[in-house]
Formats: sequence, structure tokens, C-alpha cells
Amino acid sequence: MSTDPKAQLDSLLVRLAEGDRAAFTVVFRLLWPPLLRLCRSMLKNDADAADAAQQALEKVLTRSSDYDRRRPGMPWALGIAAWECRTFARKRARRRELPEERAPETGTGSEDELAQRELMQAAVAALGELSPQDREALVATFWEEATDATGATLRKRRERALKRLRDTFKRLYGLG
Amino acid sequence: MDSVDLSQLEHRARRKYEWARARRALLGFAPSLGVVTIAALANKHPMSAVTFGAAMFVVGAGLLWYGREIRRAVLPGLAMGILPLALALCANHMGHACMGDHCMMLCVPACSLGGLGAGVGISIIGVRWKQSWPFWAGATALTLLTGAMGCSCVGYSGVAGLAVGYGVGLMWGFAQRRLSSSP
Repeated sequence: MSTDPKAQLDSLLVRLAEGDRAAFTVVFRLLWPPLLRLCRSMLKNDADAADAAQQALEKVLTRSSDYDRRRPGMPWALGIAAWECRTFARKRARRRELPEERAPETGTGSEDELAQRELMQAAVAALGELSPQDREALVATFWEEATDATGATLRKRRERALKRLRDTFKRLYGLG
Repeated sequence: MDSVDLSQLEHRARRKYEWARARRALLGFAPSLGVVTIAALANKHPMSAVTFGAAMFVVGAGLLWYGREIRRAVLPGLAMGILPLALALCANHMGHACMGDHCMMLCVPACSLGGLGAGVGISIIGVRWKQSWPFWAGATALTLLTGAMGCSCVGYSGVAGLAVGYGVGLMWGFAQRRLSSSP
């Protein structure tokens, strides 16, 4: 087995897709930390991030039979997690829940933080409108994960994904 | 994260993984129900066709759900099983053949012939794909159950004819491959 953790994850996901249950626990342990990290950075709330990451991990493992061996596993899993976080954020907004960490505070620091969180939520929502491939390209870019593309191909894919993200953002929020 | 019970999460995820695999297997093998329907409609004993068909569906979906090497047996097993099934259904409709004063039912020879062809086919595929015993076991079970839907036309003798023909075909296929691969 390869010592590169990303290549290891890819081969484990292939094994899991083929029904090798021995790979299940290893995949579970490999995916949990990065998924939780991604959800934390997207949702900015530990409790919500843990809930979203749990749902995301369940979805990744449930869909592991559909895993395409030509694509790297980590961006695929992070793409699913990003979508899950976006759904979670949307549900939270719909319920108009105010997480503990967002309790009213005074001072410029908290206002900046609030604005940043709202911006992040808007970006997550826009990210959710993109195709899985675009989402994977952006997630891989900004969370420094490997993709199946490199060099010029990756650059082009990233540019196209960013352009579409910009267009989606404009369409959703009317901002340039 | 400390607040997350990871072992519970793993159990839940595992359960969902198995359910997803089972759902996928049932959906993936659902087209074979078309074969069962045709066999039941064309057979003079639809109940036996349905019984063998149900067993075939359970085995096929089970193999797909389990996965690994054994799932590769599903398509060849089903495809090769259709050969004796088709021959048996045709023979079933032709009834019997008479030569002079002697008449005989065509079902048993058709099943044996179909089984022979299926055995040869499975042995060629298995040897070419370099499969181990789970493949052979899975493919044999599926071929025999698929063929048995038609070969039950004359009771157990048809199914026995199919099994004997299949066994001979498998051996013949093995021997051929051995001979051709030896220097």
C-alpha cells in the first residue's frame, strides 16, 4: 500500500466501493479530521460543524459505492462535506437560529466577525449552486487538497470554477 | 471533537453503507426480474419458474451486495443461464420429437445441451479473467438457478440434466484451456 495518505485514501475508497469492509474503519478515520476541519472553517461554530461533519461523513460512506476511481478521493469527500455545510447553513438561516457564538456582542471586533461570517455563509451558499466538479476544484484549491488535475489543466479548471462562482454570487446577491 | 461519539457515528455510518449497498444491489439486479417474468409466462409450470426466479434474484442481489470478486460472477452467471433457459422454453413449446415409433420429450436434452454451453462459457470467462473459487461458485449458482427456471418443465430431471450438462461443459472448458495453455 502507498505511503502517500491521499493515494492511500483513493485506493481505500476503491476497495470500499468494491465491497471490502476491511477498508471501512480506515476510511472513516482518515476522513473524519479533514471533514470536521472544513465544516469548522465554513460554519464557524463547533457544534454545528460537528453535526454537519457527521452528516457529511455518513453521506460520503453511504455514497462510497458510487466513488469514481479516476477522481481523487479527498476533494470528492470535501465536495460532499461543503454541500452538507451549505445545506446546514441554509437550514440554520431558515430557522433563524442564533448560535451561541453569534450572541450579540459589542465592539468593532464582533461586527467585523459577524460581517465575515455572513460573507462566508453567502460564499458557502454560492458554492452550493455550482456543479460538483467546480465545487471540488475550488475546495481543493482553497483547502489545499489534491485534485486529479495539475498544472495548466488545474489552473483553467479553477479559473472557470471561480468565474462561475462569481456569476452565481452576482445572481444571488446582486454584487460584483 | 470530544463531544462526538465516534464509535457510534461509525456504527451508524456502517449501517447506512450496508443499506446503500443493498439498495444498489436490488436496483442493479432488478432487470433480471424481466427474465423471470418471461420465463414464468412462457413456462407451463409458472410456479416453479417463479420459485427458481426468486432464488436467482436473491442470490444475484446478494452477490452484488457482498461485492468484491464474487460480484463479477453476476453478469456471466445470468447471461450464461439464459442459454439453457431459452433452449428449455423453446423445447417446452415444441413438446416432443418422434423418430419412427419412438417419441421423446425435448426438454431434458435441451437443458443438458444448454447446460453444456453455459458450462463452457463460464469456464472460458473464468479462466480468461483468472478468477478464484468465489467467482466459480457464484457463477455456477446463478447459471443453474437461471437455467432451472426453464428446465423445471419436466420436473427435477430437467434440472438434473442442466446440472450434468453444466458440469461436463465446465470440465471440458477447463481441459481445453489447459491443453491450449500447455507448451
